[in-house]
Amino acid sequence: MAVRPVLRYPAAVLKAVALPIDPADAEQLCVDLVDTMRASPACVGLAGPQIGVSARAFCMDVTGHKKANSCNGLVVLIDPVIKARAGNDVSREGCMSLPDITGNVRRATEVTVRGLTPDGSAREITADAFEARALQHEIDHLDGLLFLDRVSSLTADLFPRKRYR
Amino acid sequence: MHVAVTAVGPDRPGIVAAVSHVLYDVGGNIEDSRMAILGGHFAMVLIVALPDGADQKELERALAEPAGKLELITTVRPVDDSPALHAEGSPYVVSVYGADKPGIVWQISEALAAANVNISDLATHVVGDQEPVYVMILEVDLPPGADAEAIGMALKVIGEELGVDVAFNPMDAETL
Repeated sequence: MAVRPVLRYPAAVLKAVALPIDPADAEQLCVDLVDTMRASPACVGLAGPQIGVSARAFCMDVTGHKKANSCNGLVVLIDPVIKARAGNDVSREGCMSLPDITGNVRRATEVTVRGLTPDGSAREITADAFEARALQHEIDHLDGLLFLDRVSSLTADLFPRKRYR
Repeated sequence: MHVAVTAVGPDRPGIVAAVSHVLYDVGGNIEDSRMAILGGHFAMVLIVALPDGADQKELERALAEPAGKLELITTVRPVDDSPALHAEGSPYVVSVYGADKPGIVWQISEALAAANVNISDLATHVVGDQEPVYVMILEVDLPPGADAEAIGMALKVIGEELGVDVAFNPMDAETL
């Protein structure tokens, strides 16, 4: 068991495309990701770069979350790839690596993600609603993208950005 | 030293560039700021860190030129360097909308103040031409231990008295 510090921007690893995972390190990294997620209140997902490891792995668990519809329980995936996406909506996100700010982000409402489990077997999951959003957020971390890279509006989408003349 | 800089004038391209250029030239650093078009006017409020030796008067003089050219009303005043208060309560969003009438902002904000609720963001807008609808959105911080249900009820009651709709919801930013 190892709970590791969650890095905050501007740690360089957060803005780098994560490297392929070394199979020898995969198991320990995945354990640390889950331990750190479990130890962080209200945390539903964590990606390798957030604990300082440039490796393509993340964990996620939306069990019991009020906005979740689909729920795949604990998901730990290595080399995840989004194979399909559908729909989109805007919702406000925050990130443990960017504390104190939130932003509205447009994301697909349904996704299918394929990857490997820590023991090396293939796993494919489909998710919608909050779980789909969490998957996209975590996979973005593996590409060096933070939610600020995807912000779609300043505040609520209620005020049109119209010009008066 | 920090100064609060405000500028308001008829909206046109180039206002931000002109003001920020002046700030850059005096060695100022724009920290927190908000800028928006309000009713056809461009309004900006900026907290600016000035280097040692720079002063308010110098900045006021430097702003006079773009202000004259762009018809801006500008102000500069020193502010405390004390760091921003860190919100410890729970963030909520209040939406108020309905037919426009005097007193909406005052009555809603007074109820919030009475409950020691801090407003962190507020915007109002009049939308529609035939039957204008007044829309106000607030982000607020409830103090620790506040009775959210009671505050929500108090706002609803005011909404009924004013004949406007009021929604009061936890700000559901999800930390992922």
